[in-house]
Amino acid sequence: MNSRKKECVAMLLAGGQGTRLYSLTKNVAKPAVSFGGKYRIIDFPLSNCINSGIDTIGVLTQYQPFALNQYIGNGQPWDLDRLNGGVYVLPPYMKAKNSDWYKGTANAIYQNIEFIDKFSPEYVLVLSGDHIYKMDYSEMLASHKKRGADCTIAVINVSLEEASRFGIMNTKEDGEIYEFEEKPKKPKSTNASMGIYIFTWEKLRRYLIEDEANKESSNDFGKNIIPAMLGDGCKLYAYNFSGYWKDVGTINSLWEANMDLLDPESGLNLDDDNHKIYARNSAEPPHYTGVDALISNSLVTEGCEIDGEVVHSVISTGAEVYKGAKIEHSIIMPGAKVREGARVSYAIVGDGAEIGAGAQVGSKQEKGEHCAIAVIAPGYKVEENASVKAGEMVE
Amino acid sequence: MNDIMGIIFASDNETKLNELTLHRTTASLPFCGRYRFIDFTLSNFVNSQITNLGIITRNNYSSLTDHIRMGRDWDLNRKNGGIAVFPPYFSNSARSMNRGKIEALYSVLDFIQHAPEEYVVVTNSNIAANIDFESVFNYHMEKGADVTMLTYTACPNTSRKVIVKEDMAGRVTDMRITQTPSSTPAEIGLNIYLSRKDLLIDLITDSYERGYTDFEKNILQQKKDSLKIYGYHVDGYVGVIDDIKSYYHESMRILDTNLRNDLFTRNGTIFTKVKDSVPTRYRDGANVKNSLIADGCDINGTVINSILFRGVKVEAGAVIENSIVMEGGKVCSGAKMSYIIADKDVTITEDKKISGYETYPMVIVKGKTV
Repeated sequence: MNSRKKECVAMLLAGGQGTRLYSLTKNVAKPAVSFGGKYRIIDFPLSNCINSGIDTIGVLTQYQPFALNQYIGNGQPWDLDRLNGGVYVLPPYMKAKNSDWYKGTANAIYQNIEFIDKFSPEYVLVLSGDHIYKMDYSEMLASHKKRGADCTIAVINVSLEEASRFGIMNTKEDGEIYEFEEKPKKPKSTNASMGIYIFTWEKLRRYLIEDEANKESSNDFGKNIIPAMLGDGCKLYAYNFSGYWKDVGTINSLWEANMDLLDPESGLNLDDDNHKIYARNSAEPPHYTGVDALISNSLVTEGCEIDGEVVHSVISTGAEVYKGAKIEHSIIMPGAKVREGARVSYAIVGDGAEIGAGAQVGSKQEKGEHCAIAVIAPGYKVEENASVKAGEMVE
Repeated sequence: MNDIMGIIFASDNETKLNELTLHRTTASLPFCGRYRFIDFTLSNFVNSQITNLGIITRNNYSSLTDHIRMGRDWDLNRKNGGIAVFPPYFSNSARSMNRGKIEALYSVLDFIQHAPEEYVVVTNSNIAANIDFESVFNYHMEKGADVTMLTYTACPNTSRKVIVKEDMAGRVTDMRITQTPSSTPAEIGLNIYLSRKDLLIDLITDSYERGYTDFEKNILQQKKDSLKIYGYHVDGYVGVIDDIKSYYHESMRILDTNLRNDLFTRNGTIFTKVKDSVPTRYRDGANVKNSLIADGCDINGTVINSILFRGVKVEAGAVIENSIVMEGGKVCSGAKMSYIIADKDVTITEDKKISGYETYPMVIVKGKTV
């Protein structure tokens, strides 16, 4: 069966374990981690795709795929349940020969060449599942086509201090990339790669096959494919993106991105009818705010029951905050419970976790890199009157 | 249990919801912050594995079809069964505006006849309750009933009520149709009936041919001795809306956590159309007590004993008390409202003070600016 031709197919790399999110990714892949009250990280690239007119997406899963598979389902919440195209979950599979796990980002795409070929696309958009941002990929695609590029890489301007944590694209004046440096000690520019690539499929296809043949290669876009294309004089361009973008691969960055939702100046605004972020909905009633509740500068989601004090925090779907409890500068993930008189400060309380009455989790921190966020693993129960120190992770 | 089909009346003659149903059916009347009345009926059916449904509409049904679409939000987009919507005059047998349940049911006899199920539940759509039809069905079989009518306990108001008396076994021995209010609680019919399809078809055909229009009076009341009619009592939260006062009262009862849990979780989840609103934002000046708040609200002011639907904006210094503000409402700074039901997209401008009474809440019509 031949699928109808698609101009651009998106491939979303969602197989990463996300070890730096510790217990939050113990049972789920990083893209399935909760964000912003009612979302999961993967809602961002999926919504971006459908909002950019891209309706054919392969989601490459490998690590703990069950929750992610179940969450994506038939793709209906993102309007991705299409007769032609739609969303496909693509785990590694047994082939007649050379069956293997996805060895690297490029190998994951390589193993799905057949899938992509079915749609005969001119372009392939490669995305990762660990960033929070809203972006119209169709503008990036237009730029790719206009410049006749072989590869276009989205970049964002970061500070010089931060630049050594990113892949940096050194470009000529017209945006053509002449050099790529992975986490340079002395960065020459501040154009950080956002992990968003558009390739002309014919070109990428050839490089994937060549790269696979090279036994020395680690089959990675940043380490192998991009340098090889640069070395051969392919046309690689940077595409400048100026909106909000954050890698949420660490506890601190995940916490910060959630806090950015509370800050009208952060540039992260999800209340935008022209670029909605869609999520699978869990059919909960509106949240109830009780007579003893006191809530300020916070997000509260459907299904919550709040009777305590909530300051500068994100309270996710179906969470419960009992009388006398106080939550500050924290993220309470879906279905978690904070019992009577408990104190939660600078913490992430995982899905379905419970903070016993009178317990103390985390403590006041100064903002910044050394901010110590306490993490309670999903489903973990902190005993009554127990104490979890700042930055401590319990599971 | 897949042997039951459902028929839902989206409008009915008896309710007096005035402004609230000016532009919509009773079935699509918003309730509890994010729901429409029909959500409760559809969810109860789906949770009881009743998935072949017909909805009979009379007028103003665009809000209903817009809400239901293909039924996907209730898992009713099925190859077999699912939702069929029947407007008036949809076929040659539907020759009238459906002056009552008998005419309405007569117009869909073909649909009922051709459905593979053996039993049928017919229901009004002004009811918010969490009902398990599997246990209704078991009761019906156990009693060997011809018709099982669901009942609840309440004080009759000025709307038409069917008050029943039952014998020890639950068989209905007396039916009184009244519009006289009373402060004494009575067992009242919920306008939900279960029977065998072939029996219903016979009853409807016969009554239609005799020119009858009133299901309760011309069929149930008249035939209570020859038909075995049993009452099935529904306990827990039952909200029946037939006028503005009951709409207000039943909405406010949902602020009680026990009743709310009963309505939303007793036998299964209540589903509704998903709108992908963002979580609600509380700003620094927010002061919210004893209120039910849907997603997408932006709260800077005071909200007490109230229900806010999706996307309501409450500016700093605004005060909402004992009120219901439907989707897209905006209450500007310094405005005060008390005992108000603000329909969708209502704006209360700066410093306006408006108030109704607990016994007579004031309705502000959809889209108006005060």
